[in-house]
Amino acid sequence: MNLVELRGVTKRYGGTVAVAGIDLAFGEGVTGLLGPNGAGKTTVLRIVATSIAPDRGDVRVLGRDPLQSQTELTEIRRRLGYLPQELGLPHDMTTFGFIDYVAVLKEWNDQTRRANEVRRVIDVVGLGPCATKRVVKLSGGQRRRVALAQALLGQPQVLVLDEPTTGLDPSQRASLRQTLSAMATDSAVLLSTHQTEDVAALCERVVVLAEGAIRFDGSVTDLVSTAAGRVWLCDEPTETGVASWRTGTGRQRVVGGPRPSNSDPAEPTLEDAYLLMLGDRAAAELSLYDG
Amino acid sequence: MTTHTWHTGADLLEAYVAGRLDALEGASVEQHLMTCPECRGRLTPLVEAPLLDHAWAGIRAAVERPPQPFFIRMARRAGLSEPTAVLLTGSASLRTAWLSSSLVALGFAFIAARVSDGLLWPFLLVAPLVPVLGVAVSYGPSTDPLETLIVTSPYGRTRLILVRALAVLASCLPFAAVLGLMLPGPLWVAAAWLGPALAMIPVLLAIASFIGPRAAAGVISGGWSAVVLLSTRRLPATWPVEPDRQLVFLALAAAACAVLALRSRVTRQIGAAL
Repeated sequence: MNLVELRGVTKRYGGTVAVAGIDLAFGEGVTGLLGPNGAGKTTVLRIVATSIAPDRGDVRVLGRDPLQSQTELTEIRRRLGYLPQELGLPHDMTTFGFIDYVAVLKEWNDQTRRANEVRRVIDVVGLGPCATKRVVKLSGGQRRRVALAQALLGQPQVLVLDEPTTGLDPSQRASLRQTLSAMATDSAVLLSTHQTEDVAALCERVVVLAEGAIRFDGSVTDLVSTAAGRVWLCDEPTETGVASWRTGTGRQRVVGGPRPSNSDPAEPTLEDAYLLMLGDRAAAELSLYDG
Repeated sequence: MTTHTWHTGADLLEAYVAGRLDALEGASVEQHLMTCPECRGRLTPLVEAPLLDHAWAGIRAAVERPPQPFFIRMARRAGLSEPTAVLLTGSASLRTAWLSSSLVALGFAFIAARVSDGLLWPFLLVAPLVPVLGVAVSYGPSTDPLETLIVTSPYGRTRLILVRALAVLASCLPFAAVLGLMLPGPLWVAAAWLGPALAMIPVLLAIASFIGPRAAAGVISGGWSAVVLLSTRRLPATWPVEPDRQLVFLALAAAACAVLALRSRVTRQIGAAL
């Protein structure tokens, strides 16, 4: 059953089209949004999170229209968790105090029940020992987990996460994956990320966005299969593919383009498929990160 | 290690779990359980897990919950509900925004009134603007780091702003009332400034939905200053807050509320009103 439906959704910022008439529906499970910077990922997430309204198109979250009335909007927000891409944390608040504040905004009015719920989400993100620490004294990864904890309050049915793994180390990312996959049995989780390995590890479904339009919508294995027979390993550097780089074994990995001489076929990954799908734009972003 | 030569019977353990023992028997069984692993092992399956979890959660909540910060405790003592106290005083940026703006502006009004030899207009110029400016500075992305979460919370941005506006009003009300009583002129002036003050809040919110909170605060401040300053030329000093003007403020507030409601619908922009 679809918990979120977007039909013909368009959003502009001035003269720039951020999202151009997209259709997207998803239910329980983890759906990953992949795309380069400026692809429209954050705009889609903000529309689903009811932070902004589309200029055109219909939105249904949990079967309700957020634009219909304040009552519908409030009902949606009671069952929604949202982690924005950038969330300022008040420097003078403790971890507990911050999440407690957000819990009040989410209408947890009973102090004892609220404290139990705050404690629960702090434990879920593994910050129990930091509950009484001021957020300003936490590391970047810990602050990101504080921000994530507030999104988990009340075990929301729809969880919208914008770049949740930014700033997390590998073990923290593994822990986050565990948390999200447990939640996804009963909730619809929509997340955006630059990390293809997060999508490969977590998402049953992946949606690739570019320039405000959906380029791919399907399972991770289907996306990976689009790169079959288009990835090679060779000994000499080549500029013929969409992207190429030297791997840890010393050989060159070449994605796309004609098959290089003296090359061996390689097992494609999600990253290969993503690079091939978005072509030069994704490759340019890749070189930006490498540089 | 203590070795027991006797153990509690099944009936006694069941009665203990069900709370049917009197205080003396209960204490005796407890004392035995503390030192007898075998009886503790037989007791465990008799206790319902959810009951145990609930009790443990209660203990954790009491032991591990950090004490509430000083300002939240103070706000609760002042009569605010616990959730409202958390919202208003949870962060230093919020506290300083409304408290400092209230006190500084009122202090200025007092000084201005004394320096100008008891003229009433400085007070009437500043006092009604204080809550409005307090509201303007106590929300918005630049002053409230949690703006992105507030926008998507079920509590609602409008409701939060109204609560903040009332907090600003309540915090400066005693000072403004005392100042009003100390100033020359009729005693009702001490309360009359509340009329424009209350009306300016929805008017600010309505204008802010078109041009943003800071510009709206500028428009409101400019408009009110013009009214007060122009009235000083030929009219009595109390003219801006006399009873028939209070009706004008009421009408303005009603119109602003209507604009807010229309704006939310017409623009299709969630939370356009605020």
